Amino acid sequence: MSSTTANAIPAPEARQGSLKRERRWALIGAYIALAFFVVFFMVPPFHMLVTSLKSSAEIADLSGNPWMVSKPTLQNYWELLTQGNYLIHFRNSVMVTVITVIVSMIISVMAAFALARMKFWGSGTLATGVFLTYLVPETLLFIPMFQIIGGLGLYNNLWAMVLIFPTLTVPFCTWIMIGYFASIPKELDEAALIDGASHLQMLWKIFIPVALPGILAAMIFAFTVSWAAFIYPIAFLVSSDQMVLTVGIVSDLIRADTFQWGKIMAGALMAALPPLLVYAFLMDYYIAGLTAGATKG
Amino acid sequence: MEGKGIPGGIPRRTLLRASAIGAAASALPLVNVHGQTSGGRLALGLWDHWVPAGNDAMRKIVTEWGQKNRVEIQLDFITSVGNKNLLTIAAESQARQGHDMLSFPTWEVHAQAEKLEPLDDIMGRLSQKYGALNPIVEYLGKVQGKWRAVPAISGSQNKPALGRIDLLKQHAGIDIQEMFPANANPGSKAADWNWDTFLRAAEACQKAGVPFGLPAGQFTDATDWIGSLFRSFGAELVNAKGDITAKSDGVRRVLEYSQKLFAFLPADVFSWDDASNNRALISGKSALIFNPPSAWAVAKRDAPQVSEHCWTFPAPAGAQGRFTPYLPYFWGVWSFSRNKGAAKALVEFLSEREQAAAMVAASNGYDIPPFTSMTDFDTWEKEGPPTGVVYNYPVKPHHKAEQFIACYPAPPEIAVQMYNQGIQAKMIARVVQNKEPIDRTIAWAERELEGFKRG
Amino acid sequence: MSQGTLSAPVGAEATGRPMLRRLARRNSTVAFLLTLPLILLVLGLVVYPFFYAVYLSMLNRRMTRFIGWDNFTFLLSRETFWNVVFQSVLFAVSAVLLKAFIGFVLAHVLHALPSKGQRKWRGMLLVPWVIPPAISTLAWWWLFDPSYSAFNWALLGIGVDPVPWLGATGWARFSVILVNVWYGSPFFMIMYLAALKSVPDQLYEAAAIDGATGWQKLRHVTFPMMRNVISITVLFSLIVTFANFDIVRILTNGGPQDTTHVFATYAFQVGIQSGDIPLGASVSLFMFPLLAIFAIFTLRGVNKRSKEMA
Repeated sequence: MSSTTANAIPAPEARQGSLKRERRWALIGAYIALAFFVVFFMVPPFHMLVTSLKSSAEIADLSGNPWMVSKPTLQNYWELLTQGNYLIHFRNSVMVTVITVIVSMIISVMAAFALARMKFWGSGTLATGVFLTYLVPETLLFIPMFQIIGGLGLYNNLWAMVLIFPTLTVPFCTWIMIGYFASIPKELDEAALIDGASHLQMLWKIFIPVALPGILAAMIFAFTVSWAAFIYPIAFLVSSDQMVLTVGIVSDLIRADTFQWGKIMAGALMAALPPLLVYAFLMDYYIAGLTAGATKG
Repeated sequence: MEGKGIPGGIPRRTLLRASAIGAAASALPLVNVHGQTSGGRLALGLWDHWVPAGNDAMRKIVTEWGQKNRVEIQLDFITSVGNKNLLTIAAESQARQGHDMLSFPTWEVHAQAEKLEPLDDIMGRLSQKYGALNPIVEYLGKVQGKWRAVPAISGSQNKPALGRIDLLKQHAGIDIQEMFPANANPGSKAADWNWDTFLRAAEACQKAGVPFGLPAGQFTDATDWIGSLFRSFGAELVNAKGDITAKSDGVRRVLEYSQKLFAFLPADVFSWDDASNNRALISGKSALIFNPPSAWAVAKRDAPQVSEHCWTFPAPAGAQGRFTPYLPYFWGVWSFSRNKGAAKALVEFLSEREQAAAMVAASNGYDIPPFTSMTDFDTWEKEGPPTGVVYNYPVKPHHKAEQFIACYPAPPEIAVQMYNQGIQAKMIARVVQNKEPIDRTIAWAERELEGFKRG
Repeated sequence: MSQGTLSAPVGAEATGRPMLRRLARRNSTVAFLLTLPLILLVLGLVVYPFFYAVYLSMLNRRMTRFIGWDNFTFLLSRETFWNVVFQSVLFAVSAVLLKAFIGFVLAHVLHALPSKGQRKWRGMLLVPWVIPPAISTLAWWWLFDPSYSAFNWALLGIGVDPVPWLGATGWARFSVILVNVWYGSPFFMIMYLAALKSVPDQLYEAAAIDGATGWQKLRHVTFPMMRNVISITVLFSLIVTFANFDIVRILTNGGPQDTTHVFATYAFQVGIQSGDIPLGASVSLFMFPLLAIFAIFTLRGVNKRSKEMA
């Protein structure tokens, strides 16, 4: 900040005025930027919504306006919910995601606590190493994974996903949690230790309650990632009743070279609902969680 | 299979009931305990048909067979979208478990030959009953003298021309219905249906704003028709012995021809996929594509005003003959299957004429049986409107055509790379899009092919 | 995230009191047990398969013979492969830079809004991030379709010629990057927004009193405070973008003429489609050493900065 001090200081009144003007302009600029990006971000979802309300004949009809519906119908949604396996895939996705989130949180909270608070041999390497696991791409891992999952007898089994998805979620969650735990004042655990509390008691009674927003942030991340996972499910799940949403939509609604666009869009929008709800309700915690994790300095 | 099998929801429950027969069953997963009392359990992974009725018909046939033979069936339909079927094959081959019998697309029989049960006995009996097979399925299904899979009915497809009667007549002056009517008496112009005529028609249709929809990317629709184009010009990149023969007059001629033809096609065909050409036809923007009847059938549902003007007819001929693009599937049995006997029996049963007729009927004539003697089902005559739209979809004797797979007769381990990496389409793209001199393109292709030859 | 994250392993020294030190020693067993699930997960499902994949990449096509580095030297001699390297780098670097920039701008803009309106805007800006990308990419693909492109329809409406979104090299490269940016920007936005909220207001007030302009505040207050978050987010996103599969696979499958292939899609085409799994594994592994070096340096830098700040 030393360089800013070197600047000439304008007269106070002029500064007040320019500050106000600056703020107003900044706000106008902000809204313009926001509007631009909201349009950019919302165009495809809007088009999806429009398409999902069309019959397949209307979708195929080139003379119509692709951005408008002339005869809106809920048929695509209705058929998805009443015929076929969409609901089964939805249920599978919910099950896998919920369990993955729980498993990920147990693993990463315990590990993060140890890594943040109990320095031990190799802890620094481990913390870095965990992050480096993202360097190994899924497209490389799935071939050896075929043998591992096959050996466990979990090929074409929903539960294999519960085993695999944590590899996608745990490293980042662990990092969020390490940051969060590290931000909790050390006086707290020193006091607890002197009082004779064990480390586990400390984790359970002090750290988890205090770090709840951070845990929530990590949970939302884990939720988003395992809800959207695609490569592993498409590689490992074959039977329709074992599939999760992402692969179910692709394999049930596209047949060879014919696409049921209306249903694909309807399916995608409904698939986006759970994460959207999660974000709508928990976003404030999410940001607060990340913030608190980051405030430690 | 217990414990290591495919624990699908319903089958698992029925399986529990089956295990009650012998309490030791689950402890001895390697022994087919059920084999004695019943036909055991059979897990099938079949091609996910584009028409839902195709899956239903298949399920019905298989279930009835299962009941008759007391075999418990688990049936999965595996889509080729996103190459999920290839992933499944790779997965099961690595995991050495999964289904007993799978649908194998084009090149996978060779790739997995060592892990597939030889099926020579079945093929022997079938050939005796139904006569000749086309050489392409032999090339793809027979590895070192042994049939490793049986050419499948479900999923096997031709990709002949599928054009608009009205547009071709109006703009190009070609009456395709007269040329190739829905009977065995071709019109006088049929002999003139060659790539030169095709080029003139392409130009006329392009000028009229309904250009031919011929993809030239790296998807099978592109590779297949371009493969036939190359073949009918005698342009062979690699011969049966595995020698690179790209520097030839045939190749030069086909590339010169492509320069002319692609000037009349939409500019972005180089990125079209297997669905883009269908959409071009269904939307009414295109007068001709190369495709199985799926495009017509979808048009019948979504754009009847288009579908009633559609007609399937053979691909154009070149100096070396007429070659209809052909994409066969195979039914194979894993060597690690625990119920090979039942799997083989089912494969044989599915290949019989009655079942073939049922599958062809259920798929609106989409499926092409491998035996020439089975190209006479009345489904192909009756489908419509217009009635007879798919009469010329299977290769009939009067077409004077051969079914053909791109990159034949190169050794399959080389051909699979040429095919999947779309080398012929890329050669055209270099000449057309990059305006690269033909000799430079051929030199580039030779370098690529050299790479494919590596063991 | 950020500083705290990285200071973690170094931040928890025993303060020198002998009792605490003894406790810490005894508790290293507890610590080990607590990290055990993580270690097992990483060893079993990442490290072991990784080394197996390295071994795979050194086999011949039929996986019957060990051929050492041959697959890699072969790749290095291929024109097509160098195109893939170029495109992967172009794709990942430009997508990450754009995402980081857009995320930064949006986070700032959102932060400046009164908190009442913030939620609504934030919600809309998050939508791309919550639709499973495999499916939203399908929707994009439909928007790019040569016959049905709704973009071209709109362009035609204002008298612009149709654009070959996926058909010409330049446009196709633009399109795949565009979709990746669309999907990934909101992630940067929330990460940055969280970091922004953690910058103490006093710092800005102090800067304002010093007469700093908006740009100066950004450069001398915001940026240093966010540096670690930016590093980690960029690193994470770079790794993930380099490994991206769905977008290119669905939109172009590498075409036209292989000019949009990235490592993952090329590996898939070579390995799964063309039946050369070892070569496919080599393609996937190619970036590993470079990214690993980059990652280690980034993480080390972040660690150092947080140590200084602590």
